[in-house]
Parts: sequence; C-alpha cells; structure tokens
Amino acid sequence: MDSSNVLVIGGGIAGLTTAHELSKLGVKVELVEKEPFLGGHAIQFTCKAIESCAKCGACMAEEKLNNVIHNENIKILTGANLNRISKNDRFHYNIQLNPDDKNQSKCTGYSSSADAVIMATGFEPFDPVKKPYGYRVFKNVITNLDLERMLKTNGIALKPSDGMPPSKIAFIQCVGSRDSKLNHLWCSKICCASALRMAHVIKSRKPETSVTFFYIDIQGSGKDFEALYQKAKEDFQMIRAIPGDIYKTEDDWLKINYFDNLSKASIEEVYDMVVLSVAMIPGSKTKELAEILGIIPCDTGFVGSCKNNGIAGSGGVFVAGTAGGPLSIAESITHAVKTAWDVAKYLKTRGR
Amino acid sequence: MNQTEKTIGIGELNHGRFKTLPFSHDFCITCGLCSSSCPASGIDGFDPRMLVRMVGLGLEDDVVNARWPWICTMCGKCEYVCPMDIRIPDLVRSIRGLREKAKIPGILQKGLEAALKTGNNLALPKEDFIYIVEDVAGEIAEEPGFEGFKVPIDKKGANLLSTIHNKLVNTHTEDLKYWWKIFHAAKEDWTITSENWEGTSWGLFTGDDEAVKVMAGRIMEQMKRLEIKNLLWPE
Repeated sequence: MDSSNVLVIGGGIAGLTTAHELSKLGVKVELVEKEPFLGGHAIQFTCKAIESCAKCGACMAEEKLNNVIHNENIKILTGANLNRISKNDRFHYNIQLNPDDKNQSKCTGYSSSADAVIMATGFEPFDPVKKPYGYRVFKNVITNLDLERMLKTNGIALKPSDGMPPSKIAFIQCVGSRDSKLNHLWCSKICCASALRMAHVIKSRKPETSVTFFYIDIQGSGKDFEALYQKAKEDFQMIRAIPGDIYKTEDDWLKINYFDNLSKASIEEVYDMVVLSVAMIPGSKTKELAEILGIIPCDTGFVGSCKNNGIAGSGGVFVAGTAGGPLSIAESITHAVKTAWDVAKYLKTRGR
Repeated sequence: MNQTEKTIGIGELNHGRFKTLPFSHDFCITCGLCSSSCPASGIDGFDPRMLVRMVGLGLEDDVVNARWPWICTMCGKCEYVCPMDIRIPDLVRSIRGLREKAKIPGILQKGLEAALKTGNNLALPKEDFIYIVEDVAGEIAEEPGFEGFKVPIDKKGANLLSTIHNKLVNTHTEDLKYWWKIFHAAKEDWTITSENWEGTSWGLFTGDDEAVKVMAGRIMEQMKRLEIKNLLWPE
C-alpha cells in the first residue's frame, strides 16, 4: 500500500489513532488539525487514578501523540483548515495553513490528494450559557471540561474567583444532554463516570471537601462501574433531581434550589463551586464538512451510522471517534482502530 | 397520597386513562427540573414531577382527588424549563376539569355558575351595574380636565369594546377610573356593555372548556350586536 495516501481530518484521539494504525501498515497519512496543537479534548483530560488506574484513558492521548510525531509515514499539519476538497477517482484537496494569522503575507496554501478520507472531527462541548446556571456570569460555575483541565494542571480543584480550594462542590449532570427542546435527545455517555471519578480524585486529595451530585439517573457501564457508584453513594450526597436556578449569595456562594424527594420539600442549599456536566454535541462545522464529503448526518447532527445515512466507507469517506456520536476515550480509540482497518480494506479493494 | 408511600396494585395502573390529553407526559425523563423550579413545590408536598408521573401511570382517581393540581399557580415555569417540552400547566388544568363540579375547591365553581346564569360572577343585576358605572363616571367628571365625562354604554359602532373584571364594579371601583381616564385622554371611541360585561372566565381555572366557550361566545355576540371590531379584554 506504499503508494496510497489517506487524509485524516482532525487531530484528536481518534484522528491520531487512525493515523498511527494506518502508518503501521505503510500507508502515507496526512493529518489536518485546525487547532495549533494535537490531542483534541482527550489530551486535556486528567488522570483519574486514586489508588489504582481508573482506566479512563486520559494517559493514552499522550501515548497516541508520541506515536504520530516523528513518524515518517505521517505528515502533520496543525493550525490548518481544509479549504476545498473534491473527488475525481481520488480526493483532491487544498489546505490553508494558519488561517487565523492575519500577518501571513506569503501564500500558505497547500494542495494534495488522497485515496480515502477519514472524518475524525470530534465533538464540541455544549455551551451552558443558555442554561439558568450562570455560566460565564458566576466565576465559580465551571464545566466538567474546565474541571478536567484544572485537575490536570493543578492536581486539585481551585475556585476561579480566588484560587482557593472549594469546600463544597455541586455537580449538575445532563446539562444540554437528553433535552428535546435543544434537539439533543442523546445521553453524552461519559459524563456520569468522569464526573464521579473527578469528584473521587478531589475528595481523595482534600477529604474535607463536601460533594453533592444532582442527577437524573447514573449512566455507567463496565465491570468497575458498580464499585465506583457504590463508593459515590457513601462519599457524596446523591440527589436525584436537576436544580432549577443558581443565584449568587452576598458572600459569593452559589445558591441552588431543588426539590428533595425524601423530605418532599423545596430545598435551598449553597455551594462554593458548581460543575456543569455539559453535553457532547456535533461540531459546528461537522454538517458543512459532511455535505462536502457526501455524507448525510444523522438526525442528531453526528455522522455515525444511523438508519438514514449508511456511510460506512462508501466512496472512500470514513468516520472515526466522536464525530459519529458520544464515546469515551477508550471507545474512541477502539472505533478509530476499527475505522483504520476498514480503510485498509478499502485501499486494498482499490488495488493500492 | 402525598405524604406516605403506599402500595399500588398493578390493576390500578391504566395507561389508557389519560390518552386523550394532548400532552407528551409519556416523554418525561424524571429529571425533576419542574419540581426544582416550581414556586409552589413543597406546599402540601406538591411535586410536579410526581404528578406528571402519576398521569403517565394512569392513576386517575389519585390525581383527580388530590389537592396538588389546585395548589399549582399555573405560572408556567415548569413548562419553560422542561427539557422534554411537556405542557405541565395544561396538564394540571385538564386534571382540574376531571374533578366533579361539586368538589371544586373555593369559590371558583360558585362564581362560574353565577356567571353562566346571570352574565357575571357576582350575579349583579343590570340596573345595579348601570348605577355603579354611572356613579363612577360622575366622580371622574368632578375631576379637573374630565368635565362632562360620561361612560358610553352599548355604543353601537364604537372602535373598542372593553370588558370589566367583576371586582372593578364591586370592591375596586377606583381601578375603573384608570382605564377610563386613559381612554378619555387618548380620545378613544370606546364602550362597555350593559349585559355580559364580565371579563373573568373562571372556567380557565377549573378546567371547564365549555364554560370558557360560553363566556367568550357572549363577548363575541356583543361585538357583533354593536358592530365593534376591537376588543380589550383585560383579564
């Protein structure tokens, strides 16, 4: 397959994995990433081990990154946008480098061609500014992804308002997921386990921290999940209700209203940090790119397999990772490996 | 039903019972945003999420006999926050409509019956009504700038028909003056009617669609009779 080329769009965990898997087969890969760095969301995620590995997969992002850099079969283009792509037996495309750099005076276009294209464009986090929780209004209301980065950088949670560790944290699950009004009917899958694990990490390092979980139902799978859930019930206050509004108190705490099933009463409680577990939603450019590549997105806006698109490699276009729908890091990697094999088979049928 | 848990026989559940209600209560994912946001939740244990679930399960007797649907203020915040777009206030109103009329709490049914029979919730006779509104108009006429003010009653071909909330000809006559002075200052060509002037429609609160239809129909009749195109229905 030495003469064949594959274009991978997206340098997150799925894109890196497909690139690496194909490179092992001797396939030449060009990987385009719009951001100036590789690794996507996954590389910003924190390790969730306490006494032993939690198998969250966060460390694998770095491993995958090491696999692709200095790999002679993989050409990496970061800070690059796919400008044009067309198909005439093979795919012909044009890439613009550093499109945001206004000082570029030289021609920065780059043209190439490929036998197959892998859409590994990932997801975007739902912007919770549309929900009544004061995100971007109250400094100490953050998202689960903000917390991932915070824990990865500092090891402990710190309130953005004063840089001090919070004493009482509330997690609100399903923010923007399972929401018919937003046309987000899906469960984002990763947030229950990752939020619970981050809460355990916080509590193991600062045992005096109080943690409350507001949830609809805890969605988890895998043989380790039950133990994680049982421990959560021991260590955290688990409240089966999603709060209505968040208000700021005079001393800068965050007041949450919720209905308590057990006491059958409306409760008002204050916290000094609130973490919103936001939905995984399709990237803003997914639809546009899918149309250019001739893929019909599902009703959800993701480009995974669903009854109305039937993409799976037809015409040389493939999907890897969360561009197809919510997946964990481990699932993204598995999906990407499978995609790489599908691509390899496709190349073989074309005699490449 | 509200405080203690009780065992429900499977035979009591009848998912067909509320099938005719046009609200997607079956889509409830029990997130509890309604109950967390409701200004009345917790009063007598009121839990909108539980009410929606009871409707979904078809526990008709329990919800119809419960005090909960009558605690709801129908403010609509639950519907606003509901991620599944369930029309909870409409659901509550429909439950109220299933209650036996004699068991409707408070003065709602009494006022509504008076309105259906006499044209207004107070059963105020026509002569008394005219006496009151002309008396109020007389008081306005004594104020500077409103000399000669008269209340136009049953004026054919007026531009605007205004209904009247019964309390404005009962305990709150002062409030009538605000409306009328604005009409006067705006040189509006307005009128009120001597009969069926009632602006309230308590069938809205009791879930009685037929009564709402009758009350609205009467106002329509007045507009036709007096050949008026515009209606101000401040209730």
